[in-house]
Amino acid sequence: MTSAEEKVPIDIDNVDHEFVALIKKAGGPNIQSCFQCGTCSGSCPAGARTNYLVRGIIRKALLGLKEECISSPELWFCTTCYTCTDRCPQDVQPTEVIKAIRNIAVQSGYMLAPHQKVALNVLKTGHAVPLGGETWEKLRQKVGLETRPPNASSHPDAIEEIVKLAKASGFDKLVAEKEEKKE
Amino acid sequence: MPEKRIGVFICHCGSNIAGVVNVESVGDAVKNLPDVKYVSDYKYVCSKPGQQILRDTIKKHKLDRVVIAACSPRMHEPTFRQAMREAGLNPYMLEIANIREHVSWIHSDQPDDATEKAIDLVRMAIARARLLEPLKESVVDIRRSSMVIGGGIAGISAALDLANAGFKVYLIEKEATIGGKMALWDKTFPTLDCSSCILTPRMAEVGAHPNIELLTLAEVEKVDGFVGNFNVTIRQKPRYVELDRCTSCGECSDICPVDVPCEFDANLCYRKAIYIPFAQAVPSSYLLDMENCLGVDAVRCGKCKNVCDAEAINYDDAEKLIEVEVGTIIVATGFELFDATKKPEYGYGEYPNVLNLGEIERMLSSAGPTHGRIVRPSDTKAAQKIVYVQCVGSRDDLTNKYCSRVCCMTAIKQARMIRDKTGAEIYVFYIDLRSFGKGYEEFYESTAQSGVTFIRGRVGEVIENDDNTLTVRAEDTLLGKPIILDDIDLVVLSTGVVPPATAKDIARVLNLSPSPDGFLLEAHPKLRPVDSFNDGVFVAGMAQGPKDIPDTVAQAKAAASGAMALMGKGKINIEPYYSVVDEDKCAGCQVCISVCPYNAIRLNERELSEVNPALCKGCGTCTSTCPSGAISSQHYTDDQIAAMISEYLSAAEQ
Repeated sequence: MTSAEEKVPIDIDNVDHEFVALIKKAGGPNIQSCFQCGTCSGSCPAGARTNYLVRGIIRKALLGLKEECISSPELWFCTTCYTCTDRCPQDVQPTEVIKAIRNIAVQSGYMLAPHQKVALNVLKTGHAVPLGGETWEKLRQKVGLETRPPNASSHPDAIEEIVKLAKASGFDKLVAEKEEKKE
Repeated sequence: MPEKRIGVFICHCGSNIAGVVNVESVGDAVKNLPDVKYVSDYKYVCSKPGQQILRDTIKKHKLDRVVIAACSPRMHEPTFRQAMREAGLNPYMLEIANIREHVSWIHSDQPDDATEKAIDLVRMAIARARLLEPLKESVVDIRRSSMVIGGGIAGISAALDLANAGFKVYLIEKEATIGGKMALWDKTFPTLDCSSCILTPRMAEVGAHPNIELLTLAEVEKVDGFVGNFNVTIRQKPRYVELDRCTSCGECSDICPVDVPCEFDANLCYRKAIYIPFAQAVPSSYLLDMENCLGVDAVRCGKCKNVCDAEAINYDDAEKLIEVEVGTIIVATGFELFDATKKPEYGYGEYPNVLNLGEIERMLSSAGPTHGRIVRPSDTKAAQKIVYVQCVGSRDDLTNKYCSRVCCMTAIKQARMIRDKTGAEIYVFYIDLRSFGKGYEEFYESTAQSGVTFIRGRVGEVIENDDNTLTVRAEDTLLGKPIILDDIDLVVLSTGVVPPATAKDIARVLNLSPSPDGFLLEAHPKLRPVDSFNDGVFVAGMAQGPKDIPDTVAQAKAAASGAMALMGKGKINIEPYYSVVDEDKCAGCQVCISVCPYNAIRLNERELSEVNPALCKGCGTCTSTCPSGAISSQHYTDDQIAAMISEYLSAAEQ
């Protein structure tokens, strides 16, 4: 099936030599201890059913194949259950490495649409999972609660402050730029 | 006081020193210091012409003390001392400034600062040289007998070499028989020699050797003394069976009503309370496990004593303390298998069909609990589908960082034997297969040809199914795909090796240092691989670190030869770096005795402290503790050290 496809060899002169250093700085300090044993991928509940391969991503990262790492949709399949980090014999802390690569990916404009939606929710409502309109309000009334809980949804001023924080930290741009790119 | 005449020799060490340090500036900086009569630099002071220059200069300039700025004194101090001896100078009138390891090698990118530091070190050396005093080496006799601790293949090999060379050997073994772990193993890689077939003749030789005194059920309690003159106290547990009477007929065991899990067979079957560990045990005698014995009188049991025609059973046997005097000691205390319950994801100790390498060895043995059949412990059915998990307790930050070096080959050997015997499906999961020894790679290849499947990937987890079969999850890292193996009958964990629990006690009793991994530390990893830091004490085999049988025997022979070299010479020179007590100042308070880590100080007949030069290591603890300043450390006196500090600081003031 694949015999007709052309295999592109790794061009080691055209990799990102700073990528490993960037990951180490961004939260995966032990990535270079990895000896590729596969304990992480052999333990990973997400990898058992999907194309997500922790070891493979770390291997690519170690070679400096930055674009392949950050553009892959599988990067976002990790549920951060930390089983790999518990079992890794080299203390690579694969979960932290994946999180570090995710941060780099978002900085470079890669983000899954649902994640971005959640981020926008925070900006709009102050919550990642906001209460969903009338159904909720009725439910709350039924059990004798105020229609809106005493959090950001009943305090528009708090939302303004969240937006302020997002602006100050650049969070809004991270999400917004992505929005433009997508649409 | 007569004039002091110091000669300073600065070594280039090729470009090792001169490539960084400006040796001429160093010479210029010190040539006008008081008492310095001669300064020169040379390419290699340690070379033959270099030594000749040293000897000639000492004579020509009538030098009475020498400063050499070169490599660490651990390298060439003996060389330079010998040259001084030959030139008629006391060898202790030498001071070495280490301007290689302490200067040029570590400051190679700061040559100016390095030169300045070298000048400081040479100035300080000169300051100390002014206060050096001639010292005399003492000579002590060495006893022509040796103690070997541990009766595995390492201890057996060392003991036999020593005994065959005519030295008396005390072989101390904590179990009831010698043979160690090798006696538990079925075959050896890569030749598939039967382990006991090559081991038991050596064991029998030990048992019969006129120069070997074998003490089983024995452990070393205390070691006093020093190289050539160790006084050892051994604690021997009671056997309750007289060695010289027991005919190993086995009547006692046949009648014994108690069943106890058999340690020798990895607890996979039972033994009696009175038993012999295995048929070829040395000494060939039964022993009584008093903890599990019902009782020694006729009311409670006492059956074994009744049937013993040789009258060998002695219920009144008791623990003994035995004292021996030896000149040298060889530590061959071996290893234990890693406890796999520390890796919960593999289920050892929880799932009955997860085993370790040692248990499979006993199963493979035709004399073992299953008579050579490989079965599932859950139902004793033959195992048809087997998974090996490599690196359990090795190469693992969470347990042991080191590679255990023997598990790859042991797993390959077991897989090969099972495959050849039963045709079972076998999968070996590995990170890297290390088949480094002679004939090992060829053996690995032929095992692959026999149909054993090797999969590159460390197993993530083992899951037990309702029918006691197992499921193994991993990644085939060469394909980058997950792999899930179902219906596995047996998972074998390739458990690594760890230092025995008693290693710490041995280290304490013998004043040995353990490495960070817990194995005993050798004096130098390359040049003194079987010496310890304690003179006259040698380390061999797994006690020093993971190794296979060929390497173990090689080390045992090396340790025996090291011990023989000492004992053959008969005498040894003791360096005069010991403490001396000024009796005029000593008040006999005994504080020094309480702090001395080597038990080198005692009260003499005048009730004053006296140091035994052979025991003293010159550590200086007593010197700094003595409230009346009565003790000084020869060759490292307070005055000498103070002079170095003053010299260093005086330059800073200028």
